[in-house]
Amino acid sequence: MMLCKYKESDMMSDLICDHYNVLLVMSRFGIGLGFGDKTIGEVCRETGVDARTFLAVVSAHISPDGQGIDDASVVSIEGLLSYLHLSHDYFLNYRLPGIRVKLADMLGENQEALSKAILHYFDEYVTEVCSHMMYEEKTVFPYVRSLLTGKQQNRYSIAVFGKQHGRIELRLNEFKKILIRFYPSQSTNEINSMLFDIFNCEQDLASHNNVENRLLIPAIIKEERRQNNTREHVC
Amino acid sequence: MSVKIAVIEPSFIIRTGIMSILKHSARADVFEINEMEELGDLLLRQNPDILVVNPSLIGVSILQIKKEMPEMKCIALLLSMVDNNLMSVYDEAISVYDTAKQIKDKIQRITFSFQGAEERNTVLSSREKEVIRCVVKGLTTKQIAKTLCLSAHTIITHRRNISTKLQIHNTAGLAIYAIVNKLVTPEELE
Repeated sequence: MMLCKYKESDMMSDLICDHYNVLLVMSRFGIGLGFGDKTIGEVCRETGVDARTFLAVVSAHISPDGQGIDDASVVSIEGLLSYLHLSHDYFLNYRLPGIRVKLADMLGENQEALSKAILHYFDEYVTEVCSHMMYEEKTVFPYVRSLLTGKQQNRYSIAVFGKQHGRIELRLNEFKKILIRFYPSQSTNEINSMLFDIFNCEQDLASHNNVENRLLIPAIIKEERRQNNTREHVC
Repeated sequence: MSVKIAVIEPSFIIRTGIMSILKHSARADVFEINEMEELGDLLLRQNPDILVVNPSLIGVSILQIKKEMPEMKCIALLLSMVDNNLMSVYDEAISVYDTAKQIKDKIQRITFSFQGAEERNTVLSSREKEVIRCVVKGLTTKQIAKTLCLSAHTIITHRRNISTKLQIHNTAGLAIYAIVNKLVTPEELE
């Protein structure tokens, strides 16, 4: 049952130095810095985080092809939901607004029509991300919670979500390429910084989707099956 | 466009060596497959352009793989003598005694064969430019058809071709393109 090439007995600081994007995973689990030479297991226990869930999410981030995630059923679904919720909050209230500020600064006052068109594209994209994530917050997560408490009432199933769950980073990828190919300007530190942010954000969105597709959905499918079987036995 | 190359070879030393040469020889995204039981699934999911595999290891399973993924090129990684009949399935063969240059040449020959086919035509026709102009001004497909005296079906085809040529799939992106390339004036967009 290998969830990740890192184990609970490995040092947390080694994991972060090998893969710095794990910092994002940590903050979404509420794990701060300053843990000295403690192991991943120790740090997780002290912060009340399920270490297997943490390692499964780390795995989804560091191996984008999903390798290393063999058994999603060992993760804590509650833990995943709280992680995903904080991840949504990060994108909608921090990451994307931050990119917009840099974008607006870079565009400045000149080339008014072009600037407007670029910001319009970005704003449309943010609206799309927002409705994608709000659907999960308002429909998918409540369904999962009701399933966990055994009070599932509506006929929704996670397969519905699985089928329509699109890759949210694709339009950001297109936006980035449009800027690179068509935005007429000097190469400046501001533009580079903004593009670096977009590259990072795109990768992080893909990892976020990966967590949903490779961990959340399989774990819920198992739980749905388990409950259906129990119900059949009772009948 | 970079090519996706999957490598299947049980020896760690040989696998790492061949992957290192492949990574340096082409714009390639090279990855290894270790789990032989899930080979079929992994291949379908990853959909590599090229599969480099030791024929003695994979045996006749290669025939089934070729059948399911006819587009994928297969290169045999030869460590020993292999039955000639089995070799006919492969598009190319690399020997462990090949020099780095020989391996590079072989990979390049293979990648060249499908990169040529995928070369995208990026030049827009004047009709396509007219369609873009209408789209960014906010006209619907029906309105564009009426303006240009064409059928709605033709406009849809034009839009599809524009998306493929420019790799832009929405109106907001076309607006940026149109402004930069002076297909529309700022006043027209107001």
